[in-house]
Amino acid sequence: MAAPTVGIVVVSHSSALAEGLADVAREMAGPGVPIEPAGGRADGGLGTDEARVRDAIARAGGGGGGVVVLGDLGSSILTVRHLLELRANGHVRLADAPLVEGAVTAAVTASAGAALDDVLAAAESARSARKL
Amino acid sequence: MPASSETTVDLPANVDLHARPAADFVRTAMRFDASIAIAAPAGLADAKSLLSVLALGAKGGSRLVLRAEGADAAEAVAALAGCVGELRD
Repeated sequence: MAAPTVGIVVVSHSSALAEGLADVAREMAGPGVPIEPAGGRADGGLGTDEARVRDAIARAGGGGGGVVVLGDLGSSILTVRHLLELRANGHVRLADAPLVEGAVTAAVTASAGAALDDVLAAAESARSARKL
Repeated sequence: MPASSETTVDLPANVDLHARPAADFVRTAMRFDASIAIAAPAGLADAKSLLSVLALGAKGGSRLVLRAEGADAAEAVAALAGCVGELRD
């Protein structure tokens, strides 16, 4: 049996942003890590839809190692926090991290077989990473 | 006393250490307990930190120095040198 894999959820106001970032993270992490976008509202507009986030978390949890969620701004973060308060669950964690760098780093760390705490820490290490 | 190991390896001429090659490198480094540093022309990075490896901006053909400290340092350096030699864009 394969070791449990941590999944990643990317929450954005924009469906295109969430899907594009999920594509980039998958390209770098390879096929073994579930990376699920949850962007925009169900009607296609900009916003955050709690049900879409909940469904993405459920899909990303399929690897059995828990889920790290990253959000873009403001109400995306509030929506995830609200969901996690409703379902207090140590297997789903919201990262305090910049979206792009955090998601890519978390995905690559998960692809190495790291545990949930380590994937979360990798995402949050992106807060202090320099690009130059 | 922890073991330490060091080697020098060149990036393949046509492979920059960005995106997927950097991810392959970091994933290999994460298999080991040793702490591992990578030195490139632009500076020094933690070999297990994707973002710091990306920030090196190492271009194809760059000379890299890999240095590990810890019980599995020798294995880590050997595996990473092999990984670098096999990187493809």
